[in-house]
Amino acid sequence: MIGWLRRRWGGSSLFSTGAALFVMVILQTLALGFGFPSFGEWLSRWWMNWLNILRNNAGIGIIALGMTFVIISGGIDLAVGSTLVAVGAMVMALIDTGPRGVLLNLGITGASAYIIGIAAGLIMGAALGTLTGLLVTRGKLPPFIATLGTMKICRSVTQHFMQGYTPTVPRPFLQIASLKVGGLLVMPILYWLACAAIFYVISKRTAFGRHVIAVGSNERAARLSGVNVQRVKRMVYALVGVMAAASAILQVSRIGSMDYANAGSGNEMDAISAVIVGGTSMSGGRGFVLGTVLGTLIIAVMNNLLNLLGVPPFLREAFKGVIVIGAVLLQKREATS
Amino acid sequence: MDLTMRGVTKSFGANNALRGVDFRLSGGEICALLGENGAGKSTLMNILGGVVPRDSGDVLIDGKPVSFAGPKYSLAAGIAFIHQELNLINDLTVYENLFLGREPRTRSGAIDIPRMRSEGRRMLEGMGVDLDVNAMTRGLDASYKQIVEIARAMMAAASIIIMDEPTSSLTDPEIERVFAMMRALRGQGVGIVFISHKLREVARIADRYAVLRDGEMVAEGNVADVTASDLARFMVGRDVRADALSQRLRSPRSVLRAERLTGNGFRDVSFDVHAGEILGFTGLLGDGRSELFLSIFGAGGPYTGSVYLDGKPFHPRGATRAADNGLAYLPRNRKENGIIPDMDALENGSIVVWPKISRFGFIDRRRQGDMFAGQVRALRIKLAKPTDMITSLSGGNQQKVVLAKWLSSNPRVLILDNPTQGVDVGAKEEIYDIILGLARQGVAIALLSSEAQEIIRVCDRALVMYHGAVAGEAWGETMRERAIMRLATGAGV
Repeated sequence: MIGWLRRRWGGSSLFSTGAALFVMVILQTLALGFGFPSFGEWLSRWWMNWLNILRNNAGIGIIALGMTFVIISGGIDLAVGSTLVAVGAMVMALIDTGPRGVLLNLGITGASAYIIGIAAGLIMGAALGTLTGLLVTRGKLPPFIATLGTMKICRSVTQHFMQGYTPTVPRPFLQIASLKVGGLLVMPILYWLACAAIFYVISKRTAFGRHVIAVGSNERAARLSGVNVQRVKRMVYALVGVMAAASAILQVSRIGSMDYANAGSGNEMDAISAVIVGGTSMSGGRGFVLGTVLGTLIIAVMNNLLNLLGVPPFLREAFKGVIVIGAVLLQKREATS
Repeated sequence: MDLTMRGVTKSFGANNALRGVDFRLSGGEICALLGENGAGKSTLMNILGGVVPRDSGDVLIDGKPVSFAGPKYSLAAGIAFIHQELNLINDLTVYENLFLGREPRTRSGAIDIPRMRSEGRRMLEGMGVDLDVNAMTRGLDASYKQIVEIARAMMAAASIIIMDEPTSSLTDPEIERVFAMMRALRGQGVGIVFISHKLREVARIADRYAVLRDGEMVAEGNVADVTASDLARFMVGRDVRADALSQRLRSPRSVLRAERLTGNGFRDVSFDVHAGEILGFTGLLGDGRSELFLSIFGAGGPYTGSVYLDGKPFHPRGATRAADNGLAYLPRNRKENGIIPDMDALENGSIVVWPKISRFGFIDRRRQGDMFAGQVRALRIKLAKPTDMITSLSGGNQQKVVLAKWLSSNPRVLILDNPTQGVDVGAKEEIYDIILGLARQGVAIALLSSEAQEIIRVCDRALVMYHGAVAGEAWGETMRERAIMRLATGAGV
């Protein structure tokens, strides 16, 4: 059967990523076991497990979409986790219903406060991303260094100003993530899917999406073809900033609070891992939005599998490392064959 | 050492790159291997160098059959392959590069630097080269880098050296230095395969020639028995034009005018290109013509002076603005500046017009396809389907795609920098026809070229640059190679 699949879809660059995910899902299904009284119970257990996986990884999945564009353009963004914390803190401070709530003190409450909070959060994400973009384009800093700097700045400033301040997130705001559709908690998954669809279309059909590839593939040729390379780079970082902000809003509405020291930390590496496992080239020019969705799922399913198998938590990161290295080795072999 | 290749075949998929090729080389001779791009030269030499395996046929060295599983093995057998893109590490010294990968060790296991220095020095002296082994490679000019590569081959006791277009990025005095080196090696009994597109160089340096066309050896013999135009005919399989093509269509309307431009690499340059005119710019390496036009296009360094487009001051901030204003720029070095390797031919050929054919940011894919199909017909681009990757096309067709992306934007001013670089003889003539056709449509064309022949044949007049300044103008009777050379070398008229 694998032979048939390979003949059918072997030409697609996502074949091995999809195949890897398929194998993972089978293993995970086996690990879930069959010790259930009825098939119906087994199915509902399997289905709930899946909803859990998707819901828990929607935040990373959303950031990874933005990261895909950054990496295709030949860059990297280490600051997404800190952007998430900074935006999350600001949104919470805005919508806080406690005595220090910013919008409350301005007399704005209810839906209009939430809309302002969300819009301000997304704008702040875009602004932080644009700042990175300016450092990379105008300042000519390598993206690794520029975002290493903004990563430190964002988190430290957030921690300083949020000391001893625990905003109260109003209950209705939590509905953003926990509104039930058909009795199921699926809002985060829907946001993720919607973002993935939008990014896919941008990447395939718009001039901007194709310019990102051109810039990552041969920046000089792109510039000499009239592509506004600086603008493309600024937009790519602004976009990943917006995605980090969206992820922040999602997290605030899911949990209703945020640990400023730890929230979002490691998100940058998780997002980069998902992008890499999805087949996007670290050196830019070649990448797939769908691959990133698959990559996010591979890592997520593997985590779940390890959990089901009872592998101790400290060891799980090691498997993540193995997956990333293995995926790149596989892609290298395919590229040369 | 005698080399014989007999009945060598090689195919890549459905493409028969070599169909039973015979090739021989004796020690102490220079054999020019000629052919258009895609004729099979590189494949043949890659088989000899162990880079790719052959499908069938024999390779004999001194009568004994050999087979190389990799470049390592061919080098051990005395065959050195010097690629067009030099494989030197710029941040190492000359002696470190000479011994790269084969560093001698002292008894304690450390690298034996004194021995590397002395052996390297002895080798360079033996080759008659005055070069400090302690010099950093980065600081060497291109000919010395080539010589370091040759010396490295000699250090490995090579008796056959394959040189792939060694002169393509060299200036005239540098070419002389490499040629002197090649003659000296020939005197020592080394056999050299010289791959080149420059037929006049072949006539000067090579003893024998061998011409490949479509994977078959179509001619070989002694260089002394043929003329350069014979060789050109063997390569393309028909007569090659050498007649002047310029059409003198200069209209009175000035399109692009520059006054006293001074910037990094050029100074005090003024010129005026009219609609329908093909104005040439030529000179030796480092004459500043590319820097000049990159700056005018908004993609180079800043400058002082004024540029007028249709009589109005024009100073674009960035290439995007220049393109919006009807300028087009075909850069030199297609691989570095022209093509986007991760995209297909269709996208490479339409990237410039995306802003024009997009609605709400979405590319109108039907229009994109129609426009590109039109260019494919007009420029006679050979491809199986528009979604072929650009890198799978031959050099000439890649260049046509790069040209297509600009032509679909209907430019008023077309700047062409070395438009026929790395393009074979047949495609070259086709590109000339395209350029002349555009001039007939009233496009103002600046043709930058290092080939005097190209300038003389295609341009209406030419400015010759020397060290960033215009040394003189050539037109009509003064458009002669010697006159241009005198200006380009700063010798005056």
